[in-house]
Amino acid sequence: MKEKKGQILSGEVGKIVIRQKSNLPLELGELLITESVNNQKILLQVYDLMYGSLLSQQSIELISGLHLEEENQDVTFLDPNLKNYTLALAKPLIAIKNNSIAKSKSLPPFFSFVYGIMDNELSFLLNEKNPLYVGNLRSGSSVLNIPVNLNGEKVLAEHILIPATTGRGKSNLTSCILWECTKKDYCGILVLDPHDEYYGRDSIGLKNHPNRDKVKYYSLNLYPGGISLKISIKQIMPHHFNGVVDWSDAQKEALNAYYRRYKENWISAIVKEPPINNFQEGTLMVIKRRIMSLLHINITSSGELKANGVFEFDSGEHTITSIISSLENSNTVIIDTSALGSSEELLVGSILANNIFKRYKHNRLIGVLQQMPVISIIIEEAPRVLGKDILEKGQNIFSTIAREGRKFKVGLIAITQMPSLIPKEILANMNTKIILGIELASERQAIIESASQDLSTDSRNIANLDKGEAIVTSNFTKFAVPIKIPLFKEHIEEDMLKNDSSKNNSRNDQNKEEAMLSFDGIKIQE
Amino acid sequence: MKFVHFADCHIGGWRIKELQDCNIEAFRRTISRCKEINVDFIVISGDLFNNALPGIDKLKTVTKEFYELKKLKIPIYFIAGSHDYSPSGKTMLDVLEEAGLIINVSKAKIADGKLRLLFTQDEKTGAKLTGLLGKRGMLDKQYYEILDREYLEKEEGKKIFLFHTAIDEYKPKSLSFINCTPLSFFPRNFFYYAGGHVHIVMKRFEEGYGVFCYPGALFPNSFDELEEWKCGGFYIVEDEKISYEQIKIKEVVSLIFSADGKTPEEVNHEIIHSIKNLDVNDKIITIRVRGKLSSGKIIEIKIPEIAAKAHSFGAYSVLYNTSKLVTEVIEEIKIETRDGHNFDGSIIKEHLTEEKVHNDMDERMLAHILINSLCKEKEEGETKTIYEERIKHELKDTLPELFEL
Repeated sequence: MKEKKGQILSGEVGKIVIRQKSNLPLELGELLITESVNNQKILLQVYDLMYGSLLSQQSIELISGLHLEEENQDVTFLDPNLKNYTLALAKPLIAIKNNSIAKSKSLPPFFSFVYGIMDNELSFLLNEKNPLYVGNLRSGSSVLNIPVNLNGEKVLAEHILIPATTGRGKSNLTSCILWECTKKDYCGILVLDPHDEYYGRDSIGLKNHPNRDKVKYYSLNLYPGGISLKISIKQIMPHHFNGVVDWSDAQKEALNAYYRRYKENWISAIVKEPPINNFQEGTLMVIKRRIMSLLHINITSSGELKANGVFEFDSGEHTITSIISSLENSNTVIIDTSALGSSEELLVGSILANNIFKRYKHNRLIGVLQQMPVISIIIEEAPRVLGKDILEKGQNIFSTIAREGRKFKVGLIAITQMPSLIPKEILANMNTKIILGIELASERQAIIESASQDLSTDSRNIANLDKGEAIVTSNFTKFAVPIKIPLFKEHIEEDMLKNDSSKNNSRNDQNKEEAMLSFDGIKIQE
Repeated sequence: MKFVHFADCHIGGWRIKELQDCNIEAFRRTISRCKEINVDFIVISGDLFNNALPGIDKLKTVTKEFYELKKLKIPIYFIAGSHDYSPSGKTMLDVLEEAGLIINVSKAKIADGKLRLLFTQDEKTGAKLTGLLGKRGMLDKQYYEILDREYLEKEEGKKIFLFHTAIDEYKPKSLSFINCTPLSFFPRNFFYYAGGHVHIVMKRFEEGYGVFCYPGALFPNSFDELEEWKCGGFYIVEDEKISYEQIKIKEVVSLIFSADGKTPEEVNHEIIHSIKNLDVNDKIITIRVRGKLSSGKIIEIKIPEIAAKAHSFGAYSVLYNTSKLVTEVIEEIKIETRDGHNFDGSIIKEHLTEEKVHNDMDERMLAHILINSLCKEKEEGETKTIYEERIKHELKDTLPELFEL
């Protein structure tokens, strides 16, 4: 038998006043459901709480004075639970009728009771095609046993924004998303990992995934199973610097002139060849110096060019092709950028994003895009490439993907503490937002204004989100869904436990076991 | 210390007699060169043969050459490759090893759940050799995952690591979709990493590791390889000096023709005209025709006549490739998939109907059953006749109606 949690007393559309039952406190963000009338129930969410009392303010203040000033006064309220209570303001989220849902366009019956959500009550809402698990449904701070699955293919293609203040669980959420995506064939994920935290070099991570063959880890600092991060300098093109280096118009022209003349060897030419006519020596000196510094290029005593970083002259010709191929095969590609400077990291991201976008445009042109998995690129501290100040100086590949990517099944997962720095039109293009706790009112406002659902009453709710608690607002959900994101480590353990029976059947383990048992082809000595 | 490193001979690989001869000749010349420069030993990084049980004539030649080397006290260290390895152990490599002609360095013991490779020391030079065989479908990667690298790295001396696998960092563009073994799975601190499997010529020094070399095939093993590489070769390693030597058996002339907007007659004429104006005497000729014919059928490109013409001008062998040739007459089948079964599925979906052909079976269903039955491969040790009987039998079980028709 469901317990009544309150009763609707008054209100209007979007602001329903509920009196809370005294022993069942309501919480901000709590989900309530009205009793069924004509087979229809309305799902409500609490967005504000306040006190209510039948006593006049004067009387209440008098009683308080007696408590505080007159010691040993044994003054109490008569029937305190009847006379003093909590009022909750709630907004209707959806109307549920015969297991189908619609926007709520009417008020729930006056004076009707409201109840807490049962585990089985909303499960039908969240069964999606191409499910991407992001957490469990949350009602206030209670976690329900209802997994929230988004339509992964759609949400990834139409960009995800993850805004949050530091310490509210951005990395944990990203790890969970990566873990889930690695199980799926409908997506390939590229993550630029500035903290080298997702592969799990020193702890549990994607290297422990049952489908670890689908995880490609590129790093400058080799780790067993990882691939050396080397990119040929010949793969760099002038437009890859857009949004990475702030060139003047004259400098941009000079870069393009070198590229036109020397093609793939244009960077060597800038460093080694005589200056191109029509450009001032100062301009050429600046681009030479900046490129040498960014790409860590040195000239050896024998006059040869040597690069000491992620970019190299004599290797890495196929790194980009391999990465794109892995993504097209629904793999998760982690690029450890922890040893790179910020500009170098952005340049790597820009080269990859440009090539992915170009490839998928081509796939669309030749009519095979439909068969391809969606590719999503995770960028941390997104305003570095999507910030207003950056985009004022010119568009870059990330803003292009934000605007046009969904047509070509290329999406972004932008992570930021400062969503207000991203232009409104780009925020509006991010069709799914997984909002974690945000302290700053201005940042909350930027998110609320660009959300897929009306969150105008949720500012306080967002500020109060605890670590791991989030609200998912998306074009692909029926309402802004409150969720609790599992702790990555616990999620993996639970996942492993769940798959325990199939563990022996997983491809990797099976192969490994076979290899361990037989070692055929190798002469094993006792 | 002087040794020769080669791999991917694929003896018995070509079906064309003249190219089989070239292949075996490349092998003979390599061995002859080894004797000539007086190497201390030879390293073969897999796929000496194209399959585990090569034809007796090929085996005879190889055995004879190896026996000559044995008499000269030149040891041959090898690992099996993805082609000549056999999970059942039925490989001719074992016979050669039992006869004391070659030495398999892929030996190990299991220590603490890890695969601890053991070293084979060359008596004359003291070089220490070990390695991992190659298996089909990159299954050898599992061995790398459980490899006791620390043990191998700690061993002192001139160490050589033989491998038959594609390395992520070096894989060519054509293999970009293949799951490879990353460099990080290899043990460090070896002087020389003798590679095989990927038919590329590559020498690269890796900081903390040593020199990685892929010599490519000893003789090109496919039309594409003939076109791209023209010949094969091997590495000669003499102390710190590593040099690559080509073995040119026959000159290869590669002709590429565009059929765009042309009729088959025009293409035939163009090819014959080119051949007439070329010196093709004693050369291998590769002819690639690609593009879209404006009319006619692909079979109207008269390959046998063209080949006969080239032979009449003295060509040693003529190969052709029309895989990228289409015609406007028949609607193009545009299928872009990476998996054979899906490819079949897509074609079936596009071109067959649900029309009933027999009892309850429609065209699509029948096609699927036939493909599934007919794509089964010949099992190891199975003769052609037994294989055919097995397929017929299985088909009869699945589709008795077909045999009643």
